[in-house]
Amino acid sequence: MVYITSWDEFVERSVQLFRADPDSTRYVMKYRHCDGKLVLKVTDNRECLKFKTDQAQEAKKMEKLNNIFFTLMARGPEVDLSEVTGKEQTDVQPTKRGRGRKQ
Amino acid sequence: MVLLQLDPFLNELTSMFERSTETGSVWVTLKRSSLKSKVVRNKMATAGEAIEYRCLIRATNGKKTISTSVGPKDHQRFQASYATILKAHMTSLKKRERKDKKKSSEADKREGTSKRPKKS
Repeated sequence: MVYITSWDEFVERSVQLFRADPDSTRYVMKYRHCDGKLVLKVTDNRECLKFKTDQAQEAKKMEKLNNIFFTLMARGPEVDLSEVTGKEQTDVQPTKRGRGRKQ
Repeated sequence: MVLLQLDPFLNELTSMFERSTETGSVWVTLKRSSLKSKVVRNKMATAGEAIEYRCLIRATNGKKTISTSVGPKDHQRFQASYATILKAHMTSLKKRERKDKKKSSEADKREGTSKRPKKS
């Protein structure tokens, strides 16, 4: 049972794990309000990645990861660049912060 | 195991969180599933049909388990509601201030020594 210390590493490895075997990979979240602890686990029944925290900011990051997993699981593991945009590229409206390209 | 529709599931999940504030945990599991047995799936694969996958979501408080399955059409709506529920209930986590570097290193030490100390 490996506890990963870096959030980004946890996200990357879990997505890799899911893409390698989407049918047996599952994502588990355990929350204990009385202890103020949150534990995340991603496993494909061969390898297991875990992440624990007591920080509110990590909960926000976890929400993004939830979105990633929802998209991957509902639509299929071939969804592109979901890590970058958080959703499929076709769904996201590109926000342009161009400096005065309007003519 | 109770299989519910999306909205009743969200309502039950909310009450589960509310009931577990003083003691107990809430587990939520996400898994991709086609909800068909292997035999049926093989048949569909050989027949050339596309297998429709859904996201299976299970929640338990140790005593009671509820579940629901989300397809690609409802997943965004579910995602939004689910995020709202989590944000509303995960209030006991600590707020971290990144102003002091000392504080963050102290928090790291605490996290490391709270369970087993790892020596890398």
